[in-house]
This record gives sequence, C-alpha cells and structure tokens, in this order.
Amino acid sequence: MIADVYIELKEGVTDPEGEATKKALKLLGFNNVKSVSTRKVFRIEIDENDKEKAEEEIRQMCEKLLANPVIQKYRINWIS
Amino acid sequence: MMEGVFKKVEAPFLLYQVDVVSSDDETLQQISDELGLALNVDEMKRIKEYFKSKGRNPYDIELQALGQAWSEHCCYKSSKYYLKQFIFNLETDYVISAIKEDAGVVEFDDKHAYVVAFESHNHPSAIEPYGGAATGIGGILRDVVCMGAQPIALIDPLFFGNLDTPHSELPRGTKHPLYLLSGVVAGIRDYGNRVGIPTVSGLVFFDNSYLTNCLVNVGCIGIARKEDIVPSRAGGEGEYFVLAGGLTGRDGIHGVTFASAELKETSEEESRGAVQLGNPIVKEPLMHACLEIVEKKLITGMKDLGGGGLSCAVGEMALAAGYGARVTLDNVPLKEADMAPWEIWVSESQERMLVTVKPELVDEVLYVFDKWDVPANIIGETKAEKTLEVFYKGVKVYDMEIEFVTSGPEYCRTYVSKKPEVEIDEERIRPPKDYLEVFKKILQHPNVASKEWVIRQYDHQVRASTILRPLQGRINFETHGDAAVIKPTDSARGLSITADVNPWMTSIDPYWGAAASFDEMIRNLVAVNSVPHSFVDCLNFGNPEKPERMGEFVESVKALGWMASGLNLPCVSGNVSFYNETPYSSVAPTPTLMGIGIVDDVTKAVTSFFKRKGNAIILVGETKPEFGGSVYSAVTQQKSLLVPRTSPEKLKSYVDSMLKAFKEFKVHSCHDVSEGGLAVAIAEMGIGNALGAEIDLSGMEGETFVKLFSESNTRWIVEVSQSQAQDYISFLISRGCTAYELGVVSKGEFSFNDRNFNIELGVKEVEDLWRSGLVRYTGW
Amino acid sequence: MGDMSDNVNVEDIKIAVLRIEGTNCEDETVRALRNLGVFAEAVHLKQFYSDMIKEKEKRNMKDYSGIVFPGGFSAGDYVRAGAIFSARVKSVLREDLEEFIRQGYPVLGICNGFQILVELGALPGFDEDKPLAETPEMVLAINNSNRFECRQSLLKHENRGKCIFTKDLGVKVVMYPVAHAEGKVTFPSTAEGVYIDRLVENDQIVFRYVDDKGSYAGYPWNPNGSVYNIAGICNIKGNVFGLMPHPERAFFSWNHLDYPNKTALDEYGDGKIIFQSMIDYIRRL
Repeated sequence: MIADVYIELKEGVTDPEGEATKKALKLLGFNNVKSVSTRKVFRIEIDENDKEKAEEEIRQMCEKLLANPVIQKYRINWIS
Repeated sequence: MMEGVFKKVEAPFLLYQVDVVSSDDETLQQISDELGLALNVDEMKRIKEYFKSKGRNPYDIELQALGQAWSEHCCYKSSKYYLKQFIFNLETDYVISAIKEDAGVVEFDDKHAYVVAFESHNHPSAIEPYGGAATGIGGILRDVVCMGAQPIALIDPLFFGNLDTPHSELPRGTKHPLYLLSGVVAGIRDYGNRVGIPTVSGLVFFDNSYLTNCLVNVGCIGIARKEDIVPSRAGGEGEYFVLAGGLTGRDGIHGVTFASAELKETSEEESRGAVQLGNPIVKEPLMHACLEIVEKKLITGMKDLGGGGLSCAVGEMALAAGYGARVTLDNVPLKEADMAPWEIWVSESQERMLVTVKPELVDEVLYVFDKWDVPANIIGETKAEKTLEVFYKGVKVYDMEIEFVTSGPEYCRTYVSKKPEVEIDEERIRPPKDYLEVFKKILQHPNVASKEWVIRQYDHQVRASTILRPLQGRINFETHGDAAVIKPTDSARGLSITADVNPWMTSIDPYWGAAASFDEMIRNLVAVNSVPHSFVDCLNFGNPEKPERMGEFVESVKALGWMASGLNLPCVSGNVSFYNETPYSSVAPTPTLMGIGIVDDVTKAVTSFFKRKGNAIILVGETKPEFGGSVYSAVTQQKSLLVPRTSPEKLKSYVDSMLKAFKEFKVHSCHDVSEGGLAVAIAEMGIGNALGAEIDLSGMEGETFVKLFSESNTRWIVEVSQSQAQDYISFLISRGCTAYELGVVSKGEFSFNDRNFNIELGVKEVEDLWRSGLVRYTGW
Repeated sequence: MGDMSDNVNVEDIKIAVLRIEGTNCEDETVRALRNLGVFAEAVHLKQFYSDMIKEKEKRNMKDYSGIVFPGGFSAGDYVRAGAIFSARVKSVLREDLEEFIRQGYPVLGICNGFQILVELGALPGFDEDKPLAETPEMVLAINNSNRFECRQSLLKHENRGKCIFTKDLGVKVVMYPVAHAEGKVTFPSTAEGVYIDRLVENDQIVFRYVDDKGSYAGYPWNPNGSVYNIAGICNIKGNVFGLMPHPERAFFSWNHLDYPNKTALDEYGDGKIIFQSMIDYIRRL
C-alpha cells in the first residue's frame, strides 16, 4: 500500500519559509496571494494489506520520527 | 544517410559498433554530432586512422571515451600551449607538485603541505544554479581529498548579470541574475555547510556580460602531512581498482563535452541531463573514509571521478604509473539497471572516488568504507601491457592503447590582441558635479557594497580554525576583510587566502586588467601581514576559436606570467574554462586568481577595521588619474581606457617594505585600496568598528576626485598610533615608497577635506548605504 | 565534594564525541577536550552496536564518563534537524543513555547536538527518573530569518548553579559563534509561559542572547528568534546541557582574533569554561 504523509505546522506556529515565499511572490507581482504555508510530504510504500494496521504503523512513524508534536501535525492520504 | 553507420551488436545490453573506417568527412562530423562527442572533423579523422590500423570499427563506448578525453575540459587543447609558455615556467624550491595532479601541493612547514585546487562550474550553474554550484563544491573537495589532504577552506568567486535587469530585457532562455545568485549561494551553502568545510573567501561581481553566462568558480585548500600525500596513479602491476562512493547513474552524462561548447538558447531544456545531483551526506563519510585509508597507508593511489567519470580516471591512473588496466563494469553499482556500457563508463555521478590497492590490503580498505556505510567495489586491476580493456557481462566492449586515448590534440590557436594604448594625459576624466552624490552611489554599488547577505549564509568558522573571517570588526558591525586566515595545524603558523579579479578592467584591457587583478591579490595577502606564497588561477573566457577571444586569453595569461615571475610567485594549479559565450554575449575576460600567503604567527595577523579614535591614518602608494574599469567611471558614466598600471618590480618593493613595517611598527589595521578608491577603503575601515575619519587630502598631489576615487594599484590604508605615524612614513619613504598622513580616526562622521573642499557624511549613513547595496535586491 | 576529594585522574577520564554521517564538528570538539588533558575520541554510533565493526573498534557507553553530541548536519538534517540521529539513538541505545544520565554522567549537545537532545526528549528533561521523555516537549524551529546564518552571539549566563557545565562562570556575558538554520527555541504555543516559568523556577535556563550592552534584544542579537532569548538550557538534574552557539569555536583566544581586544595565542577563549567544568565535574563524581 502507498500513502502520502503530510507534515504540517500546527495553527499559530510561524512559518518563516511560507512568509518569505509569500513576500517573494508579491514582489513578482502576484498581488492576489493571500497566504503561503509549507508542508512536507513523504510517500511511503508499506508491505501490509490491512489498511487499519498500515495506518497504525504510519501513525507510529509520524510519532517516532516524521513529526515533532510541539509544532507539527500530520495527515495521511492513501494513494493505493 | 546515417543508416548503416551505427550497427547494433548482439549482447545482453545496448551496444553499437560505429562505422568510422569507411565514413567520409561529412559523416564523421555527423557521428560526432549524433553521439554528442563535440569533436571536430580533424579529430574524428585521427580516430578513423587509429581504428583503420587496428582493422576494426570502434564501439560507441570507445568513441564516447575519446570524446571525453579530448574535450577542452580534460585536455586543455586550446590553452596548453600558452599556459606552458607564460605561466607554468617558474621554479621554486617549496612547490612539491604543481599542475601534474588534480591539485597543487606546496610546502607549509617541515611536516605539512597545503593542497590547492580551483575550478569553474559555470555551465551547469547557468542551467540549474542550486545543483550546479553544489556539485562544484563536491568536485573541488574531491580534488583535494584525493591527494590525501583534509580540506580546510572553500573559496567561491561568483559573477552574475546586473540585479536590476528588468525581466522583459532578459534574452530568451536566460534566468534572472537574482534567481541565479540566490540559487548558487544556496547550493554552496547547503553543500559546504553540510560537509563541514568553512567557506572563508570569495567575491561577488555584477556585470551584464555575465547575464547569459554566470560564472561559478570554486576553490578548496587542504592540509596534509607530507608523507601522506597520495599520487593520482597506481603503484604497480596487479593492483586492484576500488570504486567507492555513490551509485553510478545517468546524471552528468556529457557534462564535460557540454562545458566545452557555447551555451545555446535551447540549452536549458536539452542539457538538463548534464547537470549532476549531489549528496553531501554521502560525501561527508566518503571524505572521512578516504582520509582514514590514507592515514593507515592502505592505498597506492587515489583519484576523484570528475569530468569524464571512470573513462578519464582509470586510464590516467594506470598510464601515469606506466601500466595498463582491465576493468569489469559488472561490479559498478548502478542507479538504473538498464544503463549501456558507455553510460556507465562516462557517467559523472557525484561522490565517487577511485583508489588503487595492493591485493593483500583490499579487505582492510573495503572494511573502512563499509564502516562508514560507503559502498565500495573492486572493479578492475592494473596490468603490464599499456592497453585498457573493458568488459561487461562477458563481452569485451573496449580495447585501446591508453597513450592514444590520452594524447589529446594541442592547438596553437590564432589570436588578435586588444591593447588600447593610452597615456595618462590623453584622458580627460571630469570631476563629479556632486561629490556627495557620487560617493553615496559608489558605496551602494553592488560591486562595492557589503556582501554580508552572501557571506553569512556560509559557515565560515566550522573546524574552529578560522582566525580572520571574511567579516571582521565589532560584533554586528563587521566589515569586509582583505584575506581570510586559517590556522591549519597546532602551530601558530597560518595560511592567508584571497580571491580576486577585476572584470571591468580586464574587459577594457585584458593585459593591464589581469596585471591589476594580480596586484590586488598581492595587496590583500600583504594587508593581513602575510607573505605571498603561491597562487592558482581559474581562467574564464569566451569561445577560443574566435581570434578576439583567444587574444583576451593570451594577453591575460601573458600579464599573469609577467607579474608572477617578477614576484617569484609560483602558479601551482588551475583551470581553464572556455566557451562562456552565448549568441547574446561573451563574458568579460575573467582570470580569477586565488592567492595564498603564509602568516608566521597568526596572532600577528592584521585586521581591516579601525581600532581607536585619534589614531593616524596613512596612505601608502601613489595615486594617479587611472580610471579604466573604475567604479567612478561607471557611476559617472565616463569612458576611460586607462586601466591602472603596475609593475612587478614596484609591487615587490612595496610588498617587502610593507611586510618589514609590520615588524617594525604596531599596525592597528590595514586595508587595500581597490574598487571605489580611497574613500571607500576608509569608509569600510570605519564601519567595522562604528568609527569615522577626519581626512585632509591637501598633502597629496592632484585633483580631489582623483585622490578620492582613483583605483591606482599598489596602495594600502594603514592605521598606526599618532606617536608612530611620522616614523612609519619616514621608514617607507627611506625605502623608496610613497606614504602620506591623511588624518585621524574619529567618531560620528567621515569628513574628507582638500583645499577649498569638504564633504561630510555620518558614520551611520555611510554604513546604511554600504549595507543596503546588495540587500535592496535580495531582501534580507 | 571539592578539590580535595577528587578521586579521578584527568588522564583516566574518557569522553565520547558521538557522530554519524553528516556530523562535522567532532574534530574541534575532541581537540578542545584533549587540550584539557582527558582522553576524548570521536565515536561512530555504529561502534556501539553494529556486528560488522571489528573487535578493536567496538565501544560500550559504560567505557565513558561523559558524552558530547557535536555540531553538524547529522543525516543531512533531513526530516528535521537532529531527528534521524535521535531516532537511531533511541532504537539502539535508549536504555544505556537513560542509565548514563540517571547516574549523573554529563551529556553535552552543541548546535546539532542540542537539536538531537531535544528530539530525544532529554531536554528540557523535567523528569529526573525518566531522562528521555516519551515525546519531544520542545523544538528548535527554523530561524525567523528563514535561512542559515553564521555570526557571533553574546550570551548572558543566567544559571544559578544547577548546570554543571557553567558552575564556575558566574554572572557574565560570553561571545560564542552561532551557525545554524534551525535554532529557534519553541515550546507548545498554548503553554509557552508555563514552560518558561517552569524552566526559570527549576534553574534550567543557562544562556540567553543579549546585545553589546547586556540587554535582551531582538535580531540580530537574538539570531533566530528564540522565545525568551533562550540560547541554552539544562535538564532538571543539571547534567544534560544543550546550546545552539558553539563553545568549541571560542575555545582559544585566537578563535576571535578578528574582534576588538584580541589577546595572545596561549590564552583560552570564552568557550573553555564549558569543557573545563564538565571535566571538573567528572573528577568529583
């Protein structure tokens, strides 16, 4: 099974990369830009047919390595 | 027409035999084009004759190998003749190895040698600035590591088009200079910082000749115990070749031939495959592992896989030792399984190193690489007969005499010189209408202004051996230094490093411009109280097949040779990059120089910022109305052909006297006078400690604007205490030098006075202008 | 405790400077420690657990009485700075390291090492019995400037005696270089105040960024935007200490010759105190 794991900043956490990108886009004349935020995506292929088990395993991965709960949250999006 | 020329060979992989033997000139050229060999008809005809005598036609892998070996990048076919004549003819007793190897090796002290390499990474950076610059760093580090040396410093001179170029004026297919600058700096930052080697010196220069050809030059210095220096050749017959490092993939295929032809408008799409992808986190352990096998004396030779990949490295390592080689490609670990043998052979995948090992030590070598999680495999062995044979899946795909492969052509290309003959009194350069306005414009000019935005993104203090940083002064008021100083061993001895060239001067007058660039390099080394010791060059020019371009090259090289021999300063390594040219423009002649000096005792190194209010400010050297290539001429839009003159005799006499004076007197600070002239030099010295200066120019000869803004060579500003000022000046005058007391270090403002003349500007205002010159474009 | 009761010779003290691929400040860290007379060596994490390592290169955490996580970009800082190094330590050395800290041995994290200690849950380290928290309680987030920056920083020492690495420093401002892209001390936004109060109360704050007048100030004096200008903190016991600035780069006075008031070669710089205090503490253990 394949999942995309999105690591995002929690609401209220400053996102310097997003802010800087927004500024740059405005400088390029994209005045309609309202906000820019960044996220990181890991595509994980997992050898498991039971979706529930697979989801639990990915949850563990997020908690043990992929996300720092102090500022980050995660979201799993199943591709197949 | 090409049908029947390429014949597919029955094999478990893709292999073609190419009919060169029965091809006419036109077809030979088409073969070269079709395979992307970048060889001309005459070169192809030599290949045809060779295979005729062998009685067979070559395989694609053999032609590809020749295309690599005979490229401008690998065999310097256009430059060798002139380099030998003018630059590489100087003998000094402390040079251990110059030119022959990947990097120059020079004695540092009884036990140690320093290793220097300098290269361009121009074309890849113009296409993909981030990856191109990063792999440039990777390549130059390997050049130093493969000599058995620990890298200790990186140096990055960069050249871009003007940052204020409107997008609408960019030629098609060209990326905006701001995008290129940001990408290149990020690439150097992310690679250099990650491998943990400090980036301590460099320069950033803006000129529209670089709009379609940005230049990215990268230099590296390393340190080694003399007995650990490893040659780039095998030690004997029957030794194993071990390939260590990253996997081999299609990235970088044709990087070398690509760097040897003019960039076309369509290059962007066509050439993407030629830009390599780097991985600093493979490089870092590879570096450790290589240095560990050197320290344990487990190998006989080491060479990095750079331009041309395995095809260049294997042959050169074997031939240099007087042997041949047999290689089995099956043992080369691949990124993609379906690669053809020629792709494996010429791939320029990053982070790879080739070592030769005696059979009894090979297990120990493989263990060290394994410990660092670096893949390593035996891929071949040396043999007595001087041929190179390559096998893949049981098929012999390559069999040529190594001497033929490495006997690349050498051209004595015709050239036309550009030498504007002007005398000082022929030029009528006018004073500015508004001095203050011009001074402000000069301070804020991107070629003068603070490069802090670039410098701070590089870790310049990792390894904890940086004595003088590129930014120095009071914390958060730092100004530019002249040369960086590194302390590479436990002793107090240090190395000073600077990178210099003035492309505005070389574009007006390649000869005097190159001489002036050399003068500036020496001035910077001397300013920190170091003795100039050696230099390397990275010669960036346009298409050498055009006589005017070749003329720029020859004149620059002549001038460098003249200056170097007069100062007895050896050129120990270097790189030539031609074809920095597009239909839109050719680059200004850019002979970038990296100078290295020896600092006897790093605690005696001299910094560039004023130390104390009330100290005397002294100008050393003569000031003349020489404005060719100056910032003043650019800002006031006056054309001047008179590039500042110099001579090795005069420079040498000043160098000796300045160095002697450092011993005799307490010099508080010293800064060389270059872009922007005296006014800028004094401003930079003040900014670094939030101090100003009260300057009286009336003791000097000539017009005020000449005194303030001329960029005459061989000049320094020196700060000494009031009580030593007169003795310092007398000392220099007694040795035939010129020196004036200009005034005193003050607080609050910079004030420049002459007969019936006064301008004043607050220190804060000067600092703001100087600091904002670059960041008004980059946004900090 | 005190000088008279020292029961370990300096030369018998062994300190490990841990590394994996991408760690790159181990040489100067080892050099600083060795200069003070102890036996210090750079040890690859694999030397603690991997079967492929030869006998003479195998190591055990029990061989050492001090550990340093040095600076660098371990594993490229991919995922998050320090996250991969920390995950590897957790998988193979978690119990050893917890025992090491519980027994009071000193653990120092500099720059990337600080990031690793935070990812390990060793800092802020509120629970003496459980030196590695289950999940991280803070993070060193990307700098407010959104980029890597290399500059000098001024640090005011504010620890009242808990941190064993700065015990003899007193109320003083020191200058150490910073060089990082992710160094902004950040706590869960909903409980920021609670965390800071707790750190202050427990005497866990060690260094705070100040300007040249000694006052708490914004950028560039606070180079990354750290909350409360925090540059370094220790755990509840005072034997685990992490900081973003680099004391090993200010170990000798010649490390900052290009700043005003330079001094001579044989003198030490502001950074020495950290390593000296670590060694003095081990001698008294």
